Amino acid sequence: MKKYIFTIILACFAFVTQAQEQGDVLIKNGTVLTVTNGTLENTDVLIKDGKISKIGKGLKAPSGASTIDASGLFVMPGIIDAHSHIALDAVNEATSPVTAEVWTGDAIDPLDVSIYRALAGGVTISHAMHGSANAVGGQSETIKHRYGTVDPEVMKMKDAPRTIKFALGENPTRVHGGGNDILPRTRMGVEAVFRNSFSEAQEYMEAWDKYNANKGKKGYKGAPPAYDLRLETLADILKGEIIIHCHSYRADEIYMLMQVCKDFGVNRLVFQHVNEGFKVAPELAEFGAMASVFSDWWAYKFEVYYSTAYNATILTENNVVTSINSDSGELIRHLYHEAAKTQKYGGLNDDLALSLITINPAKQLGIEDRVGSIEEGKDGDIAIFKNHPLSIYTIPIYTLVDGVVKFDRENDAHDMRIYTDPEEKIDVTFHQSDHSTDRCMQDTEFLFKE
Amino acid sequence: MFVVNCRIFELRQTDNYNKYNNAILPLMYYVFTIGFRFDYLRGFINLNNESMKRLHNAIRQKLMLLFLMGVFPFSIYGQDDKVAEVTSTYAITNVNIIQAPGRKIDLGTVLIEDGIIKAVGKSVTIPASAKVIKADSMYLYAGFIDGLSQVAVEKPKDKEREDVKDPGNPPNELAGIQPERNVRDFLKADDKSVDDWRKMGFTAAHVVPDGRMLPGSDGPILLTGTNPDEMIYSNQVSLFSQLRGAPGVYPNTVIGVMAKYRDLYRNAENAKSYKQRYDQDGVGMERPNSDRILEAFYPVIDKSIPVAFKAESVLDVQRVLTLKNDLGFNLILGEVKQGWDITDKIKAANAKVFLSLDLPEWEEKKDTVANDSVKAEPKTLSGAEKEQERLEKRKEEMIMKYYEQPALFRDQGITFGFSTLEAKSGDIKSNINKLVEKGLNEDVALAALTTSPAQLLGLSKTMGTIDQGKLANLFISDKPYFEKESNVKMVFVDGKLYEYENKPKKKKNGDEEDVDPKGDWTYSTETPQGNGSGTVKFEGGPGNYSGQLTSSFSSDTNTLSDITVDGSQVSFSFTIAVGGDALNVSVSITVDGDTFEGTMTAGSYGSFPIEGERTPKN
Repeated sequence: MKKYIFTIILACFAFVTQAQEQGDVLIKNGTVLTVTNGTLENTDVLIKDGKISKIGKGLKAPSGASTIDASGLFVMPGIIDAHSHIALDAVNEATSPVTAEVWTGDAIDPLDVSIYRALAGGVTISHAMHGSANAVGGQSETIKHRYGTVDPEVMKMKDAPRTIKFALGENPTRVHGGGNDILPRTRMGVEAVFRNSFSEAQEYMEAWDKYNANKGKKGYKGAPPAYDLRLETLADILKGEIIIHCHSYRADEIYMLMQVCKDFGVNRLVFQHVNEGFKVAPELAEFGAMASVFSDWWAYKFEVYYSTAYNATILTENNVVTSINSDSGELIRHLYHEAAKTQKYGGLNDDLALSLITINPAKQLGIEDRVGSIEEGKDGDIAIFKNHPLSIYTIPIYTLVDGVVKFDRENDAHDMRIYTDPEEKIDVTFHQSDHSTDRCMQDTEFLFKE
Repeated sequence: MFVVNCRIFELRQTDNYNKYNNAILPLMYYVFTIGFRFDYLRGFINLNNESMKRLHNAIRQKLMLLFLMGVFPFSIYGQDDKVAEVTSTYAITNVNIIQAPGRKIDLGTVLIEDGIIKAVGKSVTIPASAKVIKADSMYLYAGFIDGLSQVAVEKPKDKEREDVKDPGNPPNELAGIQPERNVRDFLKADDKSVDDWRKMGFTAAHVVPDGRMLPGSDGPILLTGTNPDEMIYSNQVSLFSQLRGAPGVYPNTVIGVMAKYRDLYRNAENAKSYKQRYDQDGVGMERPNSDRILEAFYPVIDKSIPVAFKAESVLDVQRVLTLKNDLGFNLILGEVKQGWDITDKIKAANAKVFLSLDLPEWEEKKDTVANDSVKAEPKTLSGAEKEQERLEKRKEEMIMKYYEQPALFRDQGITFGFSTLEAKSGDIKSNINKLVEKGLNEDVALAALTTSPAQLLGLSKTMGTIDQGKLANLFISDKPYFEKESNVKMVFVDGKLYEYENKPKKKKNGDEEDVDPKGDWTYSTETPQGNGSGTVKFEGGPGNYSGQLTSSFSSDTNTLSDITVDGSQVSFSFTIAVGGDALNVSVSITVDGDTFEGTMTAGSYGSFPIEGERTPKN
């Protein structure tokens, strides 16, 4: 263990040179939508060293700080997307029903221009998730949209809690049961995979605890248990160090996973998609599970035919911490608009609607003490709009990450790619785009047999 | 002309050598014929007198001598090893010796004996047994060392994905986890690449087996010898690793590979320390299992060898650095293509670096054409044309980064060599020349090909410079190597001589015989609208070809115009209707036997690759 700590210290030194950019900026005279503390008219927000240092009227810009005149503009916290697959070189390690050991943090692609597109929609943080091919998928990474670097480490939100992707229903049963004829072939099988995995992890922990307790004793001859990164990770879930984010649709399965987690003492649980969440909203609230949903998207596969655009509102009204996510490089550009739909379907007030894309996803990622609202001491992640962000006429004007302007509509360059392909065929006539492709099942195609 | 035991070669920058060769061969023929006639006459006329006999013997001796002097050298110095060598002592005289980067002797002599450099200097005594090579005014370099390579290595074809019962738990062979394999088992001494590399000046290479995550152990080889054992210079110098996943089975993606690498490494650490405990006092302890996969990591954990990771892109290099920082191994980064933005990280990791010689193609600008068109018509550019121009400019800037990279690494104080895992043999020398042309200092380039790889691979004691006692790995170039027109004339590997004739370069399509495209062809093309295919028919003959083309995009048959044939290049055009407008499509293809490859350009729609083959006659 000492050796690991030592290498971690070494690693820290190695990355010192790649320090993050932190800005000083005064945002003057805007309508500040704090989300957690109402709306403040004609108010200034001062960001120093990348953190919100003061909110008030008539603030002076310290020397060296730049100023943004936000008169007539709306200033809101940077939007957070709790379910995304942008900025990833690999999404699914779909070869096994349990891949807890893999981690999207290893595949971060800071060169992905989708990050800039997300910034152009006011999104400053996204949850770069593993796909949903496996019952227990890989660990995911929370990234800050510090576009303009080639360093994946700079993209990572340091000290954000670890998260892991789980999946229920058709995806894991189709890939592994249907594709390879192994467990899980049915929804029962998915439950069995969870229970088996957690049980194995318990045994693994016990074996190591026993070994560690004895190894110092004089004359101890025992061998250490075989190291297993997969079981290590599952054990960390049981220890409460990792938040589960589970791909889900049907109420019965959602309920099932809550029972499994109860049995194993796991309580950090967020359901993703959760289209039938409205059926089990009180149960979710009682468990303390959270929900991250689409505003009005369903019926794209059999198990997701039963849903409603009122889902987010019903969950919210039942005290489930709810967010609206994109799961798409296209939807991520107008999450403010997706949130606004809850005002049509359910009549949520402005603060509740905005919380769906700010403080609530922050809670789901365990970063609500640092981002998700405009409060002194929080990160200087800000989105500035012309017209209210929940209005159909809203236009993103500026997006700041850590007080650094990362999107400026006035100075939006033609070509925001960081690296270009030296062998590309340049053709200005045809434009192909795949940014709206659903990547949840990426890299799994080969597993489906005729 | 001939002195016993000492043969003289004269090499000149012109083709004297060829003339010499050309003169000797007819002479030999003549001599043989005379010899035969003499014997024939003797038998016929029955000449028995002593003086005739002496004459006969004398002539025969001379003939034999001539035979030895003249024919032998030319037949053995190639790759034909059937005849034993006469001597292993060579003196290369009157040559510009570039001993090492920045260290040069003008017109000196290098003496080689039994595969070793015996003497280097201005006044070297040449023993009588030496074969003298007069490399007048030519240039002698230390043999190049390829830092990470698959020269001479056979690449077994990827197997079709076998039906694995559980893709999450495949056999190691399918998972690509085979560090117990050895590159020695894949070496092919007579592989064409060996000669291709050698005639560019390479004499040694750090070779690795083909595979996926852990393809097997590596080894430095010499580019000579008739079997793997002769080629291998020393045993493993690193644990070769890649971020390459296995198709259809675990670990399939980069995240799978990195997780598996961590898992294996930590398991290996545990297994190794348990083994140590067991070896010290195993009484009462469970017997440790032997595991060749984990044992392959032991010397890495010991820090007795580094991990050599292939990592091309800026992201892959950083992923490897992450693994290095997590696990703590010493690191060689191989085949690096995009490192210019992360030199600080590479330095902080203390990684050794081999930069790839696979560079993006450099398109020389046709200045004159551009200038002319600007002068002729200062027309305003359309939006699309401006966009095109911007994109072209960014692409060019990106390409420049690759070419400026070695100089940048040098400025940053990072010692680097070159590697060729992805490079095509035909591009390597011209890419080296282009790097120098784009500003890489010649000494730095030479160091990256000689002293630096020797140092990075721990071969400095015996390779990398022309110094007394080192291996006789060197080559003669008719001009300074980094000049575009230079030709490698002779290469010594381990004291063995390989000679290369340089064919005069053909002028583009100049002397090449024109192909005859007449007949029926099928083709396929990739366009943004999808893949297309069709047929092309050429009729007529040289000077008056005609033809038709059909396409899966339309039911029309298009008549070809402007059909020209220049060497293997065939070009033609045709017109199609697009939304009521006529669009001219021009096609330029290179015909190679019964296949062709080329591009199809459809006005502002862009250019697309096209390839085709001749329809077999019934």
